[in-house]
Amino acid sequence: MAVTALYVHVPFCAQKCRYCDFDSRSFAPCDLSAALDAYFEQLFARLDAFGKAGALDQIRTVYVGGGTPSLAGERLVELARRIRAWCAPVEFTCEANPESLTAELAAALAKVGVTRVSLGVQTLDNTELTAIGRIHDADRALAAIATVKTAGLDVSCDLMCGLPGQTAASWKRTLDGVLVAAPHHVSVYPLTLEEATPLYLMACRDESLEPDEDFQAACMDMARELLGAAGYHPYEVASYALDGHECAHNIAYWTGRGYLGLGRSAAGMLDAEDFDRLAGLFPGVSSRGDAHRVRLVQRDDDATAFEAEHLSQREAAAEDLMLACRMTRGVASDLLVRAARVIPADELAAACDRALELGLATWVPETFGVHGGPFTSADVVAGHVRARLAPTHLGWLDGNVLFELFWDLA
Amino acid sequence: MYRSGKIVRMNTSIDISHIRNFSIVAHIDHGKSTISDRILELTHTVDERDMESQLLDTMDIERERGITIKSNAVRVSYDADDGETYQFNLIDTPGHVDFTYEVSRSLAACEGAVLVVDATQGVEAQTVSNATLAMNANLDIVPAINKIDLPSAHPDEVKTEIEDDLAIPADDAVCVSGKTGEGIHDLLESIVFLISPPKGDANAPLKALILDSYFDEYRGVVATVRIFDGSIKKGDTLRMMQAKGDFLVDGVGVKRPAETPVDALTVGEVGYVVTGLKDPEAVRVGDTLTWASNPCPEPLPGYREAKPMVYTGLFPIDNKDYENLRDALDKLHVNDPSLVWEPETSVALGFGFRVGFLGLLHMEVVKERLEREFNLDLIATSPSVDYHVYKTDGEMIDVRSPQDLPEATRIERIEEPYLKAKIICPPEYTGAVMQLAIEHRGITTDMIHLTSKSVEMRFDMPLAELILDFFDQLKSRTKGYASLDYEFNEYRPSELVKLDILLSGDEVDALSFIVHKDKAYGLARGLCDKLKEIIPRQLFEVPIQGAIGNKIIARSTVKARRKDVLAKCYGGDISRKRKLLEKQKEGKKRMKAIGSVEVPQEAFMAILKVDE
Repeated sequence: MAVTALYVHVPFCAQKCRYCDFDSRSFAPCDLSAALDAYFEQLFARLDAFGKAGALDQIRTVYVGGGTPSLAGERLVELARRIRAWCAPVEFTCEANPESLTAELAAALAKVGVTRVSLGVQTLDNTELTAIGRIHDADRALAAIATVKTAGLDVSCDLMCGLPGQTAASWKRTLDGVLVAAPHHVSVYPLTLEEATPLYLMACRDESLEPDEDFQAACMDMARELLGAAGYHPYEVASYALDGHECAHNIAYWTGRGYLGLGRSAAGMLDAEDFDRLAGLFPGVSSRGDAHRVRLVQRDDDATAFEAEHLSQREAAAEDLMLACRMTRGVASDLLVRAARVIPADELAAACDRALELGLATWVPETFGVHGGPFTSADVVAGHVRARLAPTHLGWLDGNVLFELFWDLA
Repeated sequence: MYRSGKIVRMNTSIDISHIRNFSIVAHIDHGKSTISDRILELTHTVDERDMESQLLDTMDIERERGITIKSNAVRVSYDADDGETYQFNLIDTPGHVDFTYEVSRSLAACEGAVLVVDATQGVEAQTVSNATLAMNANLDIVPAINKIDLPSAHPDEVKTEIEDDLAIPADDAVCVSGKTGEGIHDLLESIVFLISPPKGDANAPLKALILDSYFDEYRGVVATVRIFDGSIKKGDTLRMMQAKGDFLVDGVGVKRPAETPVDALTVGEVGYVVTGLKDPEAVRVGDTLTWASNPCPEPLPGYREAKPMVYTGLFPIDNKDYENLRDALDKLHVNDPSLVWEPETSVALGFGFRVGFLGLLHMEVVKERLEREFNLDLIATSPSVDYHVYKTDGEMIDVRSPQDLPEATRIERIEEPYLKAKIICPPEYTGAVMQLAIEHRGITTDMIHLTSKSVEMRFDMPLAELILDFFDQLKSRTKGYASLDYEFNEYRPSELVKLDILLSGDEVDALSFIVHKDKAYGLARGLCDKLKEIIPRQLFEVPIQGAIGNKIIARSTVKARRKDVLAKCYGGDISRKRKLLEKQKEGKKRMKAIGSVEVPQEAFMAILKVDE
């Protein structure tokens, strides 16, 4: 199966947010420009290597994330142009932060074929923004949404709940404000304190900074209610979209499709066939042996070091089941039947039963109008009945239990 | 001599007048271990490059915790200034109240003791109690004032204290530095001159004391012995006078500190005997060895069967490990004969054992060794003592586990073990100690001013109160100055009740606890609150209740977990996400599913963490 998704990582920020432990560096403005130039040169070279190897022929979705890609300005436009030279994606997302997304940049991106901008809004409360170390304010964020829309691009907003000082009222104001700005897509992430981040260290001294899980759950519920009422349907744990505006690139992650990672810390995933074809692009990675799936993370700027993980056929199947549980539609019967070829059917049915028993998931028939009697998990796994296993409200908020249940089958 | 792993058999026969058997005793942190190490170094027992600090503490746990659990005896050759060569046997003793019996056996093997006193701290409570122990064992005492290299050292004042507080002639005191090695030579000379050589008759029938033993897979039980009369050589048939069994000696040797075979162990000497016995129970600390063909008439005095004081349930988290746990206990028992156990079944925890220990530290050490050395994951349940329960039908039963307590209507009365506890501490802490004793149902029976710096207080106290947190509390309320010693006194009637804990409405037998009725309410409340902290939030709400019989006396609730989901996924790095999941799962492995509730190991010991 050809690779259809491409992720590009831009690990630079004007200032690192206090909660973030992802790979990104901040530089003094004078050094930033040189660092970006050098980094993008390496991206371009790597891109060409991918292109020449034929790896990009079938790319349908591109996602440039960070870091803060918008910080790269004209270089980002050049990157998009060069990607377009190798493939014809139907969806092309760039992440951006409100303070560095100018109208010119948005227009230039639109011109070279970017289709979507994902904005790091986080909250519309200025005190909360300061508390997490963001350098934009609410007005700037709302203006950025308008700018992207004016440029004719789809816009998505990232929001966070459980921030220091956040209240139910302030969260509602953020949601209301975002709804007025009317983006096409919204992502809602509960804040997690990652070890060794500034916020984590602050929370070690001041417990009040630690996100309260009950509050986060209430925020997630409120988001689901308000966004739902405004026509945004939840299609994944954290993702809401107006009809037809789901992020195809993200869906690729959750549905076990292969993707390429470009840039430092970018992750890629290849099935056996693709890996064999493209192994030359990943020097130093040991042969896959009988692995069914290889996941690769680029460890340096110039793509000479990689971290590789080899998954057996069974592990890949368990991973697919686990990831499918993130989707609101859940695990399709096709996937269950496919998984049952490598995972003993009784174990698979038992995991489904356990999910039902704990109230984490429920069966939803896939074929309408067909009257069937009661059925068991074993019936679905055996392919006798077509139904998908969809997460319940509990399975959404306590998703880890559900994920674990299926990853345990590996 | 032992050099870089090469073992040379040596002829060890030495005149009994050239033997010195001694131990080193000290208040905690006064430098006992560093002085032992220096002695080994200065006598070339250990090359400097092989020197690992605290050589005598061989178990990982001993080194990590800085405590000595097992007795250990090392032989050292010392070329004294008088031109003669002396044989020193340095006997290390355990330092915790749980191991008082082992200490008394070790001291019985010595003629002398080096009493280490910190030159900056002076005589402290444990110095007094250790000196008392040594003097009661009729040992010659060599005071060593340590850490004289420190600027704050005041050895002259410390000398006065030794004379005033301990009634030991200060002229005998040697000033040393374990750190720089200064004065260690003088200390060795003092050991030669101040400590008496052993007495005994090489030609009399064998009389030897077993100080310690351990199990070796190939050689069977290996016993550490001190010979009072006669001698032991390979091929002798020996008899254990208390355990009443004979064995053929497979070999004898000494530790230098590596095991070094010798031709014979003779009167006055300390060394090890390879018994070849495959039954760990056969050899007991404190037993007397003699020749089977020509036995001595009387065993050595002071033998006591090591009696467990505290009983806890030990259950494998994974029920499949039950047999492994039994094997592991068997193996540990070999060099820890005080360990006893019987099978126990719990509705909540499945199959396990009710294990008797000398005290809680002993329990912790055993549990840790079982987990580490045998790779087991265990749950220990709340500690209990041995209650005498008199039933209405006239029968008396021993109850060591709350589960075994009959219904209240069938109990006529319950008696619990009382101790005579002796606490020595500086006078300024007597109030705090008294208060602590009252909180633990203790009754003051006597109070003696030993010196201007130490008071001895005696209490009658239930053992059940002492095993919980008494020792830790005593240490913290007296800033470590108090020392505690206790012995069993008698059984006394008490108003005791069984406190049950219910999770989600179901009684969890492994969480039950026997407690005095006056303390039941407070404890129930404390326990419910503590369990609420320990038990993580689950998918559903978990009510926790404390009950006596059918009456609920305390409650708390673990709220349902509302959110547990990894929402953010950076650029498709799914491995990273999965690793987080696996980390969470690793944590869950250490938990036990009780019904549908995931309960962490420490919940079963929560009783020890309840602040009253």
